[in-house]
Amino acid sequence: MALDLGMPILVVDDYQTMVRIIRNLLKQLGFEDVDDASDGTGALAKLKQKKYGLVISDWNMEPMTGYELLRHVRADDALRTTPFIMVTAESKTENVIAAKKAGVNNYIVKPFNAQTLKTKIEAVCGA
Amino acid sequence: MARAGKVPAMSQTVPVTELLEIAEYITKLKKGISALRAQELTRDRIPMAHDELGSVVAATASATNRIMESAESMLSIEARTLDEYRTKVEAHIGDIFEACTFQDITGQRISKVVEALGQLEKRLSQFSTVVNVRDGEVEYDPEEARRKARAESLMLNGPQLKGPETPQDAIDALFS
Repeated sequence: MALDLGMPILVVDDYQTMVRIIRNLLKQLGFEDVDDASDGTGALAKLKQKKYGLVISDWNMEPMTGYELLRHVRADDALRTTPFIMVTAESKTENVIAAKKAGVNNYIVKPFNAQTLKTKIEAVCGA
Repeated sequence: MARAGKVPAMSQTVPVTELLEIAEYITKLKKGISALRAQELTRDRIPMAHDELGSVVAATASATNRIMESAESMLSIEARTLDEYRTKVEAHIGDIFEACTFQDITGQRISKVVEALGQLEKRLSQFSTVVNVRDGEVEYDPEEARRKARAESLMLNGPQLKGPETPQDAIDALFS
């Protein structure tokens, strides 16, 4: 199954440069409909307003972390099937396992490159 | 009748040697406090470290923005010939090189902060030796306790010093 390049993607990160980097990488991959939020609270509000095909989220943010966002998304009947990729500097095994148990679809450790992001999006969203 | 509440008689004497020891300890303590130069630390060195680190954050953010802007501009270059394309790319590469000069200045700023921290560590270590007192029970302020509890419950460990603790390959194996 080919990637749906028209699907809306929500990027969640409190570091604007990282949002910009991910936006550019997504643009290079062909995705044009990209929104962003600076923490889980803002992301949840956007997720309730628009149907996203993928969430790419950092872990360490305030007030709501990416891990809390993931748990909220998986606990919400309307959002629970939304693909979710964690992109984070949290590289301890306990973090990866906790995210997997909470229902994350894939996990990328920062720093990462375009190829890694592409591979994970393809694994999660088709291709 | 219990003797616990008995107050020593006024005539009871404290050995002179004990008094001398206390006086000597107080003198050492005063010297130790003086050597800490706490006012200099709080007036000069700590604010300097704060300012220098603030400048480092600002300089790295500014350089990152310049590099990102150049990279984004290169992605959208429109040129009719290869030479024109090359000239435009080279101009942007020049901007990137220029932006990278931040590293020299931030390196010097960070060295000043490291030196200040070294001074602080040395003085605290000397003070600890002079007063010969072990660490007591730590009393966290409520805000610090809240931050610590949040970090623990949400597994906010932050980046590891020597790169990712779990390599991407190992994570990929978990998700395959």
